[in-house]
Parts: sequence; C-alpha cells; structure tokens
Amino acid sequence: MFHQILLQIFQKLNKERTISAAYHVLRGKRSGQTIQDIGLFQLHQYFGLLPKLSRTTFDEAVNLFMQNSWLNVQESGHFYMETLGLQRAQQTPTFFFDGWHYRGNEHVFFARLSLIVQSLSHQAAAVRTFSPISRDTMIQAWVRTFLQAHHYKEGHLQQQLLTECNHVLTILPVSDASKQLVLYRLSGYQLPGWTWQQLADERKETVLDSQLAFIETLHILLNEVHQKIDDYPLLGHVAEGLKVKILLTDSAQQTAQLYEQGYSMEQIVQMRKLKQSTIEDHFVELAMYEPNFSIGPFVSYDEAQKVWQASKQYQTKKLKILHEALNDMSYFQLRLVLAKGEV
Amino acid sequence: MELEQLLHKHFGYSSFRPGQKEVIEALLQEQDVIALLPTGMGKSLCYQLPAYTLEKPVLIVSPLLSLMQDQVEELKRFGEKRVVALNSFLSLTEKRYVLHYLEQYRFIFTSPEMLLQQQVQEKLAQMKLGLIVVDEAHCISQWGFDFRPDYLRIGDWLSRENRPPILALSATATKKVVRDIRETLSLKAPFEFMYNVDRPNIHLGRVVVEDKADKARWLMHHVTETAGPGILYVSSRKRAQQYSEALLQEGVRVAAYHAGYGVEDRQFIQQQFIAGELDWIVATNAFGMGINKLDIRQVIHESMPANIANYMQEIGRAGRDGHSALAILLYAEGDEELAKFVVTGDLPTLHHVDRYQELLSQQIQPIQMLKNGELSETAFRVLDYWLQRESSEQVKVRLNHLALEKYNAVNEMLQIIQTKDCIREHLVGYFGQKLQKKPENCCENCGIHYDVIKKVCLKEKKKVEMATWESRLQQLLMGN
Repeated sequence: MFHQILLQIFQKLNKERTISAAYHVLRGKRSGQTIQDIGLFQLHQYFGLLPKLSRTTFDEAVNLFMQNSWLNVQESGHFYMETLGLQRAQQTPTFFFDGWHYRGNEHVFFARLSLIVQSLSHQAAAVRTFSPISRDTMIQAWVRTFLQAHHYKEGHLQQQLLTECNHVLTILPVSDASKQLVLYRLSGYQLPGWTWQQLADERKETVLDSQLAFIETLHILLNEVHQKIDDYPLLGHVAEGLKVKILLTDSAQQTAQLYEQGYSMEQIVQMRKLKQSTIEDHFVELAMYEPNFSIGPFVSYDEAQKVWQASKQYQTKKLKILHEALNDMSYFQLRLVLAKGEV
Repeated sequence: MELEQLLHKHFGYSSFRPGQKEVIEALLQEQDVIALLPTGMGKSLCYQLPAYTLEKPVLIVSPLLSLMQDQVEELKRFGEKRVVALNSFLSLTEKRYVLHYLEQYRFIFTSPEMLLQQQVQEKLAQMKLGLIVVDEAHCISQWGFDFRPDYLRIGDWLSRENRPPILALSATATKKVVRDIRETLSLKAPFEFMYNVDRPNIHLGRVVVEDKADKARWLMHHVTETAGPGILYVSSRKRAQQYSEALLQEGVRVAAYHAGYGVEDRQFIQQQFIAGELDWIVATNAFGMGINKLDIRQVIHESMPANIANYMQEIGRAGRDGHSALAILLYAEGDEELAKFVVTGDLPTLHHVDRYQELLSQQIQPIQMLKNGELSETAFRVLDYWLQRESSEQVKVRLNHLALEKYNAVNEMLQIIQTKDCIREHLVGYFGQKLQKKPENCCENCGIHYDVIKKVCLKEKKKVEMATWESRLQQLLMGN
C-alpha cells in the first residue's frame, strides 16, 4: 500500500518537483511550498498520513523504484517516471484517505474509542480497575466526561455503542479484513489487542502497510459519521472537534486577519517581523484555500490569462520556466495565479 | 488499633509479609528505615499502612513516572481518594489546584524534578509531613546503575531540621549502595531490613557455548522443545526481533518486546502473555517493570547482564507462584567485552569534560552539547551536575572511577558465571547474606536434573485465531 501511495504521488508530481516534495506531503510539513503543492497537484488525501515517516524508509522505497526502472531521479532530486512506473501507477487502486481534513487526528479518535471500549468492557465484566490503554491524561479526562455525559452507570451504553458500531461498519465500503484490523487494535477485559507486527504477519504485509490500511479505514469511517451525524450520536461525539475546519496554517491565519483589517503586505511584514517571502507564502496559501480572497490587487486579469496560456503552451507548472517566458512578472505573482486556479 | 487490625481494615489482608511489620513499627517510633524488598513483595505497604495512623500526609518521591501512576492507581483500587501525583503530567491549572490543597491529601507522590521547584519546596516547608518515602532509593547512589543527579539534589533538601522519618525503599542494593543511601539522605542510625535474596524454587543453570552460532542453535532447540511461560532476555532490539521471528517460524507462540514498540503494542504483549496466549517473550531489559505474572517457568539470558543486581531482578520474575522454575544463563567466551562496551556507552567521557569547559569559556551554554547530539541525556545530566560542583580534574577522576566500577560490576557477574563452586551461595553472599539450605537441583555446579524440571513442550498449543469483526465487537462490548 505504501508503495502504491508513493507511486500515485510521484505520478502527480511527475517532472515538476523533487522526490522530497512527496516526503513532505506524507509527513504533513506545514510549509508554504508543501501546502501549495497540495493544491496545485491535488494531493489532499495524502497530506500528513505518516507524520513519523523516516527518511530511511522513504529513501528505501525510492531506491527500489529506481532499481525497478519505475523512476529516474537526477542528482538535484528532480525526477521523472519511466513508462513502466507510469503503468504501475495506473494499476494502483483508488484510495480513500482524507489526510487534509484529519491530519493525524484519526489517532485521537481511536485513542478515545479504545479507552471507552476498554472501560465499558471491564464494566460489563464487573471488573472495577484496570490499567488504562491510553496514558495520555487529556484522553483520559475526555473519556471520563464522555462516559458521564452518556450515563454509563445505567449500563446501557454498551448496547448503544454496539448498535452504532455495527451499523457504521456494516455499511462501510471496505473489506472485512480492514474492519477486523480496526477491531483488533481495540482491547477489553481478557481480550488483548494484537500488535502491529502480529497483524501485519496475519495479513502478510509490512507493518507500515497495515498501519496505512488502518488509517484509511478510520478516515472513511470518520467521513461517514460526519456526513450523517444524526445517525451516530455516540460516534459523532467521539469524533468531535477532530475534523480540521480552518485549512490555513496558524501563521497564515494571522496574516489573513491583518490583511482583512486593511494593512498592506509591506506593513504586515514589518508588524510581524517576518521575511517578505514568508508573508508571500501566506498570501499564496490564502489564494489557494480562501475562496473569497481576490488576487486582483497583486495581479491583473490579463496577466493571469497570460500565465495560464504559457502553462498550457509549455505543459508545465514549473515556476522557473514560466518566469523565463513571462519575465516581466514576479515569482510571487506567478504563484498567486497558479494557486488561485484557472479563471 | 493493632497493626493487624489496620491491615485488615484498609487492605483486607490478614497477615503481614516478611519484613513489613518490623519496618512499620520502626517508622511509627520515628526511626529512619532502609528497607530492601523485591518488587511484588509488598514494598508499598510499608508506607501505605503508617499513613492511616499518622494523620499527616505521606510524601513519596519516585523517579519513574509510570511506576508512580501504577502506585496511585493501586491505592485508588483500595478505595483511597486522598491520593495525588504531583508530576509533570499535570497542566498548569491542575498543578496550582493540587498545590493549593496539598495538605489535604493523605498520599502525595512526586518526582525528584518536581521537588526541586521552588514553589513546591515552599509549600512543603509550610506543611507538617508524617513520613517521607524515597522509592527506588538505589538511584541516589553514584555507584548505582541508574544514577539520577536530581536525587542527589533532594539529599540537600531532605537534610533540613525537624524532618519526619525517612523510609528509603529499594528492590536491589548492594552494601556499597546502602552506605550511599544512608549518607546522601543523612539518615540517623536507620533500621535496616533486607529480604532473603535466595529464591530456592529457582534453579540456576548455566550453559557454556562456543560462539554466537552455537548459542543460536542451542536457544532454538531449547525454546522449541521445552515448556514456557518463559522470558528470553537478549542484548539488543535487533536481536529480540531476529529471535522472535525465527521462533515464530518454528511455531512457537512468541513475541518480541522492547522500548522501540509503541505503548499500546507493549501493553498488548504483556496482556497476551498474562492471558496465556503467548508462551515466550523475547525481550530487552525494558521488559519486566510492573509485570505481574506468577507462573513464569523459565528465564533465559542470551547475553550477560550488566551486573549481579540486574541478573537477580530478572531471574526473580520466574516462579513467583512458588513452584519450580529454571533460570539459564548462556555464556560464550568474550561475552564480557560486549557487556562492558554496553555499560559504559552511556557515560560521559574525558573529552566531554574538556568540551564542556571549552563552551563555557566561549560563553556558550554547555547544553548545546546535548542539542548537538554529542552525548546522551543521562550522560549530560551527570556531567552537568558534577561540573557545577567540582573542578575538571576532580570530575575526570570521578568519571574514570565510574567506568571502572561498571567494569567491576561486569567482572563480578563474570565470576558468578565462571565459578566452580555453588552459584547460589555466591549470589547470596554477594548481598551480604548466608545461604541457609541448598535446595535440590540447586545450580549448574551442584547439579541440575534438567529433564525433571523442563516439562516437555505441549506441541499442539493452538495459535489464537482471529474472530470476525462482528463477533470481536460483540465480545468487547457485551462480553460474549
């Protein structure tokens, strides 16, 4: 699965970026460049899937791709996909990740759910104490409040949660093996969970692939719950506050506020004591994710048209090439136009 | 009320375990106490019970956050509500709240780091404590194997006037460490209690092999042919991984365990082991803390422990139910070199001392060394502590001494392995005790009838099969 995901990302970034760009996407790097790449190349679903992905693991995969003649990487890190690699990428299945909206929060959801299930399991067995699966005090406090809010002492919560989980898992368009995977990361009274290694052995794949299948299933489940929130009073509560609504980085958010208050870009640079280029990154981010943000004050309509014509003519979104073709425009203007999308 | 009555009222036990009553009586007479009791032998009861007659809060200083959490939960299980852990897990608001109401708790657990904070010290100075407990007290000894400079610093704090009695607790301590505990904590003529280190139901085997390959052959054969539950201790994460994979291939119900796994995975392995779904654990020395499984039949050491105390602690996890258990230590010539390399790997070197002074003279914060990854965090803590107090020359002498001590500890372990006399007698003697009686199948040198002890492995142990998601969900929530 990891290799298939990488192939898909490389296919989208083909000839346009260095291989590192794919690494940053998977790690969820919150830099202007990566955020911009997400929008330009439609990489939303892969964003931040593996925040702890090591460079070694990533490089190993890249080396394998090179050995298989799927990928050609130049010394600068720029790459293109060979015919074989493109074929392979075509054969990969469609994935249903939603990294952009969850950004690792699926693990918070699961930590909450794990502790809830563990507590209810022990309660059903009339065992009053156990060692909590999550040592995170935030999670513990959250779950305590949850259990009290749903009157767990009355003893009906088990049945209610069972009904909801059965319902959501029955209609979820994923394989039974994926549902099993999720269920075996949960534990209860005299029911230990399985380690990643054990699950991966059972599924005959790598630990990383099992973890990705788990994340994908959680993303699909969370989206189902959010779409029909009225059908899932309990799971909806567990998922509360975990879907990212504001899509800007915190710093870009601050810049946006100042801009809305009427400060100019130069003033914002001074006020925030940041580099001009950083503030430019923020504006590019705004152009990409804020539908009401107009790039008009920075680029004229005619200029934007020219950029799109050039992009078509040269078949690229590479700034360097576009800049050579349209040398009276700044890099910043080019990025704004590309970020805003075709008019 | 009699102590026995209190014991029954608050904890539901009808009698004390060896040592508990003597320790408690000494504390109630306001005497300082050093109590050496192994884990799982009711160490904590020594301060839990006095708390109910003292009517003043008991302060427990504990260096391990996870252990602290376990102890807090244990007390809550006995229905105690006035218990708090004052540690870095608390948010600022929580901490302020806890500090404000501190005197209302019966049990206050805290870490050495926390105790060094000014606001904590000020608050404690205003309070009347009934007892101060220093848990894992061997960490205080500079010759100990888990030396914590912060523990030395609290020594200064504890030596104030009008302090309540101090109870120093440890599972493993040699005579030298006991002396360090006494001096650093300025204990006044303490009552010392030491449990009987001998565990007669554990048979002490030793197998000498040619080399690494020979070791692997022996282990694979032994583990597949004999009965668990057992722990196989190995020297590295990588080795743990390799052995567990190889044994899995042979159909053994086994899992690796080391600090490289996530918290959940580690808990799952422990739970599976306790539930009997696993027969063997291949572990680094990260495994064992807080594991409560009574029927472990074998503990095997694939490589040499760093010292005798570690060895005793690790084999001590076997046979807690009192039935026969087997400890086997594997040795190939030269194993001590690897052990020495590992034990000194964490120490600061003479070069680090010079580098520290060089940075200081350039007006750079020495912590930069740590940030550059030039040495480990523990090493930096040790270096930083001593260089703030002594000259470079003195610290260098100290560091050399430390390394030598660690080498000596490995050599002491080597002597146990190489002795031609009774291994048990040697081990017990090391802790300053005398062996009362040799059990049957005592040790390798006295003679062990292995075939009597190792029951033949029941080959047809079923691997746990995965249930469908529906029935797993049902089991988890409804229990059937």
